[in-house]
Amino acid sequence: MSTVEQSTKDAIGQDAEELLRLDGVKKYFGLRGVPFRKAGAVKAVDGVDLVVRRGETVGLVGESGSGKSTLARLATRLLDPTEGRVSISGQDVTTVRGRRLRPVRRKIQMVFQDPQASLNPRQSVGTILTTPFRAQGIRPSRAELIELLHQVGLSEEHLERYPHEFSGGQRQRIGIARALAVRPGLLICDEPVSALDVSVQAQVLNLLADLRDELGLSYVLVAHDLAVVRQVADRLAVMYLGTIVEEGPAAEVYAAPAHPYTRALLSAVPVPDPGAARERIVLTGDVPTPIDPPSGCPFRTRCYKVQDVCATVRPVLEPVAGGEHRAACYFPETASPEISRAPMSERTP
Amino acid sequence: MPDLVWFVIRRLLATVLVMLALSLAVYLIFYALPADPARLGCGKPCTPDRLEQARHFMQLDQSTMQQYLQFLKGIVAGRTFGEGAAAVQCNAPCFGYSFPLARPVTTLILSRLPITASIAIGAAVLWLIAGVSLGLGAALRRGRLFDRFAVGFALVGVASPSFLVGLLAILVFGFWLNMVPVNGYVPLTDSPVDWAWHLVLPWVVLAALNAASYIRLTRAQMLEELNLDHITTARAKGAGEGRVVLLHGLRGVLVPIVTIFGLDLGGLLGGAILTEKVFSMQGLGELLISSVGQLDVAVVVGVTLFSAFLVILANLVVDVLHGVLDPRVGHA
Amino acid sequence: MPEPRKTPSETPVLEVHDLHVTFRTEGGLVPAVDGIDFAVAPGQTLAIVGESGSGKSVSSAAVMGLLPSNADVKGEVLLDGRELTKLTAEELRKVRGNEVALVFQDALSALNPYYSVGWQVAEAYRLHHDVSKKEANARAVRMLDLVGIPSAAQRARAYPHEFSGGMRQRVVIAMALVNDPKVLIADEPTTALDVTVQAQIIQLLEDVQTEFGTALVLISHDLGVVAEVADDVLVMYAGRAAEQGSVKDIFYRAAHPYSLGLLGAMPRVDVPPKHRLTTIPGSPPSPGSIETGCPFQPRCAYTERVGERCITERPLLTPRPGEGNHEAACHLGRRPEIAQEVARTGIQENAAPEGAPLQQSAAQESAPLEHSAAKAEGPLQPSAEESAL
Repeated sequence: MSTVEQSTKDAIGQDAEELLRLDGVKKYFGLRGVPFRKAGAVKAVDGVDLVVRRGETVGLVGESGSGKSTLARLATRLLDPTEGRVSISGQDVTTVRGRRLRPVRRKIQMVFQDPQASLNPRQSVGTILTTPFRAQGIRPSRAELIELLHQVGLSEEHLERYPHEFSGGQRQRIGIARALAVRPGLLICDEPVSALDVSVQAQVLNLLADLRDELGLSYVLVAHDLAVVRQVADRLAVMYLGTIVEEGPAAEVYAAPAHPYTRALLSAVPVPDPGAARERIVLTGDVPTPIDPPSGCPFRTRCYKVQDVCATVRPVLEPVAGGEHRAACYFPETASPEISRAPMSERTP
Repeated sequence: MPDLVWFVIRRLLATVLVMLALSLAVYLIFYALPADPARLGCGKPCTPDRLEQARHFMQLDQSTMQQYLQFLKGIVAGRTFGEGAAAVQCNAPCFGYSFPLARPVTTLILSRLPITASIAIGAAVLWLIAGVSLGLGAALRRGRLFDRFAVGFALVGVASPSFLVGLLAILVFGFWLNMVPVNGYVPLTDSPVDWAWHLVLPWVVLAALNAASYIRLTRAQMLEELNLDHITTARAKGAGEGRVVLLHGLRGVLVPIVTIFGLDLGGLLGGAILTEKVFSMQGLGELLISSVGQLDVAVVVGVTLFSAFLVILANLVVDVLHGVLDPRVGHA
Repeated sequence: MPEPRKTPSETPVLEVHDLHVTFRTEGGLVPAVDGIDFAVAPGQTLAIVGESGSGKSVSSAAVMGLLPSNADVKGEVLLDGRELTKLTAEELRKVRGNEVALVFQDALSALNPYYSVGWQVAEAYRLHHDVSKKEANARAVRMLDLVGIPSAAQRARAYPHEFSGGMRQRVVIAMALVNDPKVLIADEPTTALDVTVQAQIIQLLEDVQTEFGTALVLISHDLGVVAEVADDVLVMYAGRAAEQGSVKDIFYRAAHPYSLGLLGAMPRVDVPPKHRLTTIPGSPPSPGSIETGCPFQPRCAYTERVGERCITERPLLTPRPGEGNHEAACHLGRRPEIAQEVARTGIQENAAPEGAPLQQSAAQESAPLEHSAAKAEGPLQPSAEESAL
């Protein structure tokens, strides 16, 4: 385990302030029913508990359809949960709506994937950055706006420009500055770098790390790229079909993934090293539809360790080898991948 | 295709509801007019007594709601106006009775429909062919002379009033050049050649004006389609340009064209008012206009409802075709 | 296991010499590709790596003759010694999809939504073979089966939207392989896919390459995918070749500051993170914005060291130490210092990916470095690797 990961983990105790707490959160999107036919629901998020404490970075990873983006929107109250409770800084905000959400929004802000789409092309950077202040009834000084730009590595001269005059990386910096305007404690970043070129992606990841150190920010980093998440996350939550299947300190989960899905997912990420000989678990098939997820364990239809019990009751998150590392699996892997190789599943053709 | 069957059944049920609501609305509007149809039927001199008689005969002395229910009953079971020897029978489906023309509305509509249909269908086929091929050519020669000509033609077509173009055409081709007959209708069953010959001018005029929107639509959709990735795929597979354009490009343009075409044709079948007037064709549009002049409310209501029904039917046909033409559209 | 290395005696099936592509636009001439060379032999994989605007996709489209009519293509494209740029439209049509086939990034938009997948694969076959529809359909089903589509005969009748992303990409690959092409050009074939599905598709591409001996040109921005499948790598920047060589040359002995910057900027999933990623300041330039000198110069940390030459003189590809034809276009005559940093991430030959980091992070702590390439100056220290070479 790296010293960096170790030190961050030590710094955040169990008793650090809870910025975000999700209890049994569910989000079902209804399908429009037609006569003579049963209406279904897309179970986008199907019972998630998650806690984010001050100063920590939680990586939320999963493939498309895992519900990670929906969860991010539930956490920021952009969506109403079907069931469960959302608490921000200890306050239950599940039913808070409209004007009364404003003080909540001060504490938690969102950074979106596509800076092109999330910035109004007709507004100057100055106007874009003023909007979140206005929403809180504050009139920011020019100095405050310039300070914001400096924080994200832009300068005063950018204040009067418009989004199209910037590169993708700069636009994402503007998106981050906007999120920082009201001094939130927690930023929810939904795929913040996936639309950027590799060289620019590194700049933004470094910026996020710097801001965390300077401002003591917490992040929930929603991403499909496990390498990106490893770079910044202290804690990792792996989602599959609307549920968290594994959760724990990032260093532990990356070094010794316990859930077969996490293990397969990690083994599938290509490594930029032609000499790296790694055993790959190639999963067969695709993610099942969230309208009709498998009974019991959602991953059982693609799992290489599946047994009869997996189809009965959905496994809950349980500690692996003590500690905070938990996995929702009846047959978790215990050894790190180097010592015992997981059996290869059938290779597709 | 059970999905499709259910879809059609659901839509037909909805159509019945829409027609009911529409007929009520039309009824209420036309009977709220300060004109009294009975006055025209009461003869001269129109004493209050005779007026009252005429009212009773036409069943106008009942309340509006009662009249409406009678109207609905007539559709299902037919109606009889008056009693005894003077009684007028209107068989089901009876959409009202025209006293000035002394015929059931249903009969009137059915006698005029072939003329309107001849004009509409012939013109529609012409403008479809002309519009799509000109639009396609314009898209393929974007920015060149042909494109400019087609776009310019479309602009003129959209902007021109049909009666003016119709009258000009009659003047030029009918009177000056004496190439085609300027009015009259010969039924298809009498002589197909004469039928077509008498319709050439209205067809061409209607087609020239309507083709404009098809040129624009086809051109815009085709340009968009040709930019799609699957067109590049087709080229990368080794398909020749003709195949790329017709089989892969035009296929995608089919859906919007069929949609617009269905709605345009449905609308036109309910009466090409101006064209019929200009070319003196006794079609549905002409029937509607003259009935309005005669305060023949029964015909006005009947033709209006019939036109509305055609538009709704056209919508349904378009939606069904949509699902047949685009595999991504489900009818669930 | 990696394929056996290319031996010099193997003659390339596809050779590109001094390729230039210029677009005529309303704003003037925009050069997109400015003189690149590459070659790929049967059974081998060449990866073309670059960021947006590097010209990597334009190069592949130029090879296929698929560029729009406002593109001027100069240079030689030799397929089995035959000059493709001199062919008539009809001759070129017979090459496309038959001898050279293309796999696109986004399989959903690459497939025609109005036709069944079986029809589309069969069409590709019928365009180059005089066979009946029935025979072509049978061939299509065989190909769909080969690329791993379950119950292929039945699924052939389904439409593209009825498939998952991974299955659609398999269909596209089946369509590309149906004529048994000599060269397969795959433009970001896995970028739109989830990582577990990406693994399946990479596996499939490697399998078909082994089975048919197809030469593969892989266009990608993902160095992880490249490291996994490539034999040779061409790193493009602003329409030019920054560096090229064997996959080991590029990953272990990279000589161009841009290649090294890319390697350092890639976060890794298999080793614990170092404190900061190496970054390249600024963004990739838009095509044609740099006319003289080295296109990378505005973002390069070594310009000051080298001096005027970077601004005035275009660097040519010159040989560098390595396995074979390792070349880099950089005026800096030796390996840049950031090579040490990149090596520290664990990308080095024979490094045990999981074992090494312990040591490395210790070294990192004892000698904290400013990791931004923009500030990577200071005393020159030959890296351990460099002295070994």
